Amino acid sequence: MTVTLHHYLILASVLFCIGLLGALSRRNAIVVLFSVEIMLNAANLNFIAFWRFGNNPELLHGPLFTLFTIAVAAAEVALGLALVIAVYRHFRSVDLESLNTLKEE
Amino acid sequence: MNEVTAFWILAAIAVIGALFAIRKRNLVHGVFSLLVFFAGLAGLFLLLLAEFIAVVQILVYAGAVGILILFAIMLTDRVTGKDAFRVTSRGSFWGTIIAASVFLVLLLPTIQEIPQVDNPSNSEEIVKQSTVKALGKKLIHPYVITLEILALLLTAALIGAVTAAQGGHPAKKKISIE
Repeated sequence: MTVTLHHYLILASVLFCIGLLGALSRRNAIVVLFSVEIMLNAANLNFIAFWRFGNNPELLHGPLFTLFTIAVAAAEVALGLALVIAVYRHFRSVDLESLNTLKEE
Repeated sequence: MNEVTAFWILAAIAVIGALFAIRKRNLVHGVFSLLVFFAGLAGLFLLLLAEFIAVVQILVYAGAVGILILFAIMLTDRVTGKDAFRVTSRGSFWGTIIAASVFLVLLLPTIQEIPQVDNPSNSEEIVKQSTVKALGKKLIHPYVITLEILALLLTAALIGAVTAAQGGHPAKKKISIE
C-alpha cells in the first residue's frame, strides 16, 4: 500500500472541517482566528499534494502558491489579532456574543 | 520507517493537534496544541518533498504566528483556565452538524470525482527540480508582480495592525491624559 493523492485530500478536508467546527462553535475571537488558520493550512496541504502528484512538477506551482498563501495568512493573522485587541479595548471582552451593538434590542 | 507509517503518524499528529486546539478550555494549552498541528503539517510537507515550504511553515507559523497569538491572549484574556464558562457555546451542536455535513456532502464526493493518479512523478526528479534556487528564479521571472503586490500587502497589513491596535487617535488621547 502506498500513500496516494486521495489520502492527502481526505486528510486536508478532515482538517478543514475541524477548522470549520472551531470557527462555528467557539465564542472566543482568538480561537475563531486560529480555526481560520487551521483551514488555511488544510488548503496549503492540498496545493502541495496536487503539485506532488500532478503532471508538471517542474513548474513549481504548488510551493509558490503555498508561499503566497502563507504570506497572506501571516498578514491576516497580524491584522486579526490587532482587531481582537481593539475589540477587547472597546468591549472589555473577546467573547463574540458580546459584540451585538448592531443588533436591535 | 517507510512512507506509509510516516504519513499516518504525521496525519494523526496534525488531526489530534487541530482537535485539541479548538476544544481546549485553557487558551494557552490550545495554542500549544496548535503549534503541534503546525509541526505535524510541516512534517507532511517534508513527506511531499516540499522541504522549503516545510521550513517556512515552521518559521512563520510555529515561530511567528504562535508567539503572536500567545501575546494576543496575554493582552486580552486573563489566562486562568477559567475560560470554561464561555466555551460551552450553544452553537456547538449545530457547528458539528454543519462541519460533518460539509465533509460528507461537499468534500468527500468531490474527492471521489478526482481520478486516481497511477504513476506519481519520480521523487528524485522532483527533488532535483524543486530546489530553493529554482523557487527563487520562478519568483523573479514569472511571478515578480505577485511578489511585489505581496510586499505591498505585508506593509499595509503592518501599518494597519499598528493603527488598529493603537486604538483611536493617539494625539487626542494624549491631550485627554494631560
